[in-house]
Amino acid sequence: MNASALVIGLVALPFAAAIVVALLGAARAGLVRWVSLGAALGGLALAAVVTLQFTAIRGAQPPQKEAAATFAPELVPGADPKAPARTTWNIIEFGNRGAIQFYLGIDGMNIWLIVLTALLMVSAVLVSWNAIQERVNEYYAWLLALGAALSGVFLAFDIILFYVFFELTLVPLFFLIGIWGGPERRHAARKFFIFTFAGSVITLLGLLALVVVCHQKSPDRTLTFSIPELVRQVNHHLLLSAGADRAFWDATQFWVFFALFTGFAVKVPLFPVHTWLPLAHVEAPTAGSVLLAGVLLKLGSYGFLRLVLPLTPDACITYGVDVVGTLAVIGILYGALCALAQDDVKKLVAYSSISHLGFCMLGMFALNAPGLTGSLLQMINHGLSTGALFLIVGMLYERYHTRHMTDYGGIGAKLRILTLCMVVTCLSSAGLPGLNGFVGEALVLFGAFLKRPELAFIASAGILLGAWYLLSMLRQMFFGTLQEPAHEGHEVRDLDAREVCALAPLLVLFVILGVYPKPVIDTARPDLEIVAKILRNRPGMTGAPTVAQQGE
Amino acid sequence: MFDVCSYLWLIPALPLLGCIATAALGPRWLRGQSHWPCILGAVGACVLSVLTLIAVPQGAVNADGAPVPYLCSYYEWFRAGDVDVSFALRADGLTAVMLVTVTFIGSLIVIYSVGYMHGDPGYPRYFAVVSLFLFSMTGLVLANNFIVLYAFWEGVGLCSYLLIGYWFSRPSAAAAARKAFLVTRLGDIGLFLGILVLWTETNSLDFDVVLGQAHTLSAEILTIACLLLFAGAVGKSAQFPLHVWLPDAMEGPSPVSALIHAATMVTAGVYLVARCMPLFGQAPDAQLVVAVIGGFTALLAALIALTQTDLKRVLAYSTISQLGYMFLALGSGVEHHRLAALAATAAIFHLVTHAFFKALLFLGAGSVMHAMGDVIDMRRFGGLRKLLPVTHWTFLCGAAALAGFPVIFSGFWSKDEILAVTWEASRGGPHAVIYFVLLVTALGTAGLTAFYTFRAYFMTFWGEQRLPEEAGHHPHDAAPVMGVPLMILAAGAVLAGIVLGPTGLFGGFLEHYWSRSELPTRLQAAEAGGHALNVPLMLISAAVALGGIGLAYVLYVRTPALVGTAARMLGGLYGWSRNKFYLDELFEALFVRPFAGLARLCKTLDQYLVDGLVDLIGQVPAFVGYVMRPFQNGLVQFYALLMALGVAGFLLATMLR
Repeated sequence: MNASALVIGLVALPFAAAIVVALLGAARAGLVRWVSLGAALGGLALAAVVTLQFTAIRGAQPPQKEAAATFAPELVPGADPKAPARTTWNIIEFGNRGAIQFYLGIDGMNIWLIVLTALLMVSAVLVSWNAIQERVNEYYAWLLALGAALSGVFLAFDIILFYVFFELTLVPLFFLIGIWGGPERRHAARKFFIFTFAGSVITLLGLLALVVVCHQKSPDRTLTFSIPELVRQVNHHLLLSAGADRAFWDATQFWVFFALFTGFAVKVPLFPVHTWLPLAHVEAPTAGSVLLAGVLLKLGSYGFLRLVLPLTPDACITYGVDVVGTLAVIGILYGALCALAQDDVKKLVAYSSISHLGFCMLGMFALNAPGLTGSLLQMINHGLSTGALFLIVGMLYERYHTRHMTDYGGIGAKLRILTLCMVVTCLSSAGLPGLNGFVGEALVLFGAFLKRPELAFIASAGILLGAWYLLSMLRQMFFGTLQEPAHEGHEVRDLDAREVCALAPLLVLFVILGVYPKPVIDTARPDLEIVAKILRNRPGMTGAPTVAQQGE
Repeated sequence: MFDVCSYLWLIPALPLLGCIATAALGPRWLRGQSHWPCILGAVGACVLSVLTLIAVPQGAVNADGAPVPYLCSYYEWFRAGDVDVSFALRADGLTAVMLVTVTFIGSLIVIYSVGYMHGDPGYPRYFAVVSLFLFSMTGLVLANNFIVLYAFWEGVGLCSYLLIGYWFSRPSAAAAARKAFLVTRLGDIGLFLGILVLWTETNSLDFDVVLGQAHTLSAEILTIACLLLFAGAVGKSAQFPLHVWLPDAMEGPSPVSALIHAATMVTAGVYLVARCMPLFGQAPDAQLVVAVIGGFTALLAALIALTQTDLKRVLAYSTISQLGYMFLALGSGVEHHRLAALAATAAIFHLVTHAFFKALLFLGAGSVMHAMGDVIDMRRFGGLRKLLPVTHWTFLCGAAALAGFPVIFSGFWSKDEILAVTWEASRGGPHAVIYFVLLVTALGTAGLTAFYTFRAYFMTFWGEQRLPEEAGHHPHDAAPVMGVPLMILAAGAVLAGIVLGPTGLFGGFLEHYWSRSELPTRLQAAEAGGHALNVPLMLISAAVALGGIGLAYVLYVRTPALVGTAARMLGGLYGWSRNKFYLDELFEALFVRPFAGLARLCKTLDQYLVDGLVDLIGQVPAFVGYVMRPFQNGLVQFYALLMALGVAGFLLATMLR
């Protein structure tokens, strides 16, 4: 079987499973759960096989460092035999000028996010097992559809396809929050939907503008929606443009940058457009929070990395570093301080996400290799750590039905395994070396320090604040004298096998990624280098040159 | 012999294996035998450390005749752009000395713990974390680059957190654990930023490269970098103003206080500064800060220790004070590179002797606590010397060493070297006067040290025998598993100084490594002549120590009634000392409260202002609809009127143009 078919499977399998689950009916809840689990495990297996295939291809034929001017995805379904990085599967053709394509592929920037999605899907299915008792089939159908759409965004290399998947993620999560959420679920779902939708409509405008500009500027009037091709064309024009053309491109980049920025910044979320996030998290069911924090937020940062940096490099250098960098640092401190003052543990984790994603964006807009690498690692690490935090908080909520930290005390004496998992997860989230969080955070600070030392100086306070709110939460809820919240009659037990299965893979990955992140960094390096090189080639780029540059 | 690199990695790896084995097997299978993996790991690491100590002087020698450290790179941790971090270890004189100290004392304390922790419900957890600590601490001193050092630095902090909070059901232990972690992490920010500064300037993270390029850096950058690194040391080694976590850390089990919060982990800051001596040696302004903070902390902590009634807290403050001495020594390494080498050697020498006698004192205090049913308030027991003979005699050895009892005991020799170095620094250079003041302070502090040490000793072991009811009917002395480690440590506390100090063994071993060509080239060339014993200084310090001990004897054995009079005479000072100069409160008011307030402010702002604005924007479409609604009243005549008006207005505008 062709390996590229597996890539379609990453999207198709959860979609198909969602339809099957929906058709099974609410009465067969047990079967629905097992089918969903099977689909999630199948998706994980697919992701694993694809990863192995991809690393094998990259291992056999490392991308040419000098030749690479744009992304070159592998394992493209329907690949053009002459150019394996392109697809021949057109969805809508515009004469023979070009077409919107069903263009999926794998490269070093999305492979680990795909794996992360597949992994968190399994945990999400497992953690919902007993928590969801109403309209079970619908719930799992939406959950699986969400997983499929998320994978689709990461895999898409066609700009329209990307956008379709990007918006498609909103629908399942809207229903997951609105139907199975907490008391204020309707308000939260509506706010989440309108807020992010309003942002991304402007993003669409920016994307289309860029397509049209490239169409007009190309000598043979071709029309392309392919991301790699757009990146190639834009940078080709940028390198050649001068005079009036130069001014035109500067203006184009400016407007496109801010159009894309609007949508992605809401998604990340950057300060001050983050307020939908705590509300959505608090009201969402546990699995919804896990996927929302673990994967959905990465759509924003991934959008910046895949589209904004390579398509509008000059605007990123001129405005991005200052605007995004500053907002990111504010987000780091502001999110951490807000987390520190919370009594609702789910809100605490939600605000910690804002702080962590601030690190992610700070590293990305350092626009250099350490920063970009750190940023990508931070995406993965945040997905794992915060995913695990929401899982554990959900497990606690299932037992005691309260999220107020002051209701708890000394739970560690009672729920030992849960507490152990929580301590490890908090340490990972606080960036303790040896666990995953550290490497990403350190690289982000290295990158930021090269670009803007003052920003790195301020951001480093996040190291302390992160530990502060997490350890305070641990002390309040898990240590001290035992004080259980009121719970009806039934005996509260420690984690059962199902819950351990949902958590353990994440904890194991904390250690592996903390001690040996090399595989992730190595696979991502060539593709991040493409972005870094585009940025390096721009005239406005300042900052201390790297050794890699000097070597060239 | 074997290649050093072939076994060097095992020194941290063996305790790590011990940790994994204890964690995996302990709760289910080993239970009461959970100490075995930990003991095997610690003793194995100790043997290998001794091998390293032997191998190091036999290593290769460079063109200048200085020994070359063994450098072993094992695997690439992460690399991006020119951030290149390998898991690399090094073995040189400094590392070897630290390794032997850590693993030898660690092994003894682990064995002692078998008796001390017997029957505790968290037995396996205790040994797993202690193993993890030995892993981190040996890794810290073996690290060959700043990031690996930082990683292990945080690792020891984690173990400290886990062990202070070992009895996590006690609210005070949970609070102390969090405080320790956060206060030290405040310093760690400085350490990390210092690493960033050095990396930006030298493009490397390896010790040899960074330290070797020290002379190419501008004076300002060097001073900034050194002060940032020193901030990390201040946090970890509990120096003013970040010392507030260490006394509270006594909430952990006593062997932990001995191992982590006295003998090893808290000396990591001293190690860091000693390791970076080529940087500090060339930044006299930074050195002055180091010396002043060290000297001031030594005095402050000694003053607080005078009036504490909790035996472990007295020892904790004395640890802070003694660490202050070490920084005073390090900070005195100015003017010429010979002095820098001497200073670092003196600090490390005191580190080693202190590790012995302070571990001994803490284990002795633990033994007292064990016998007294976990009571540690010295007002509630007394006259224990008949009841606990082993504890008494070993504790006396430790106390004499800490007090600097002349000629035999180790503390005398190592403290004297520090005083000698400070004396040297006060003989010339722009800051000579300040160094002289520091020297006088250090001498005065030596007297205070002798006094509070023997105050604690007399209060615990002399006077009429008093027992708290928690002790039960038959308090017993340390069992052999606890007693033998005490005796070995006592032997070390007595002999380490006189064997290694005046014979020049220790100095000769270490100075060799400091006098490498890379050491401060900006400083003046070495003065002629070797390191001679400073006899007048020795006499003064001996007199001061004996005076302090004598005063303690008078006040606490001969005429105890005088204590109250003395306290009344000192009045305010006594109260300030009792209340630790209100530094905890100050820290709370200046740091914790403002941040907590800021956090609440952010929370409120977020809820009402930021989110309010968003909701306001959300109201815009509804508002527009509200404004426009009257126009959609369904009356055709009204629409016709508006249309006519509109056309008229348009025509008018067109004509008037």
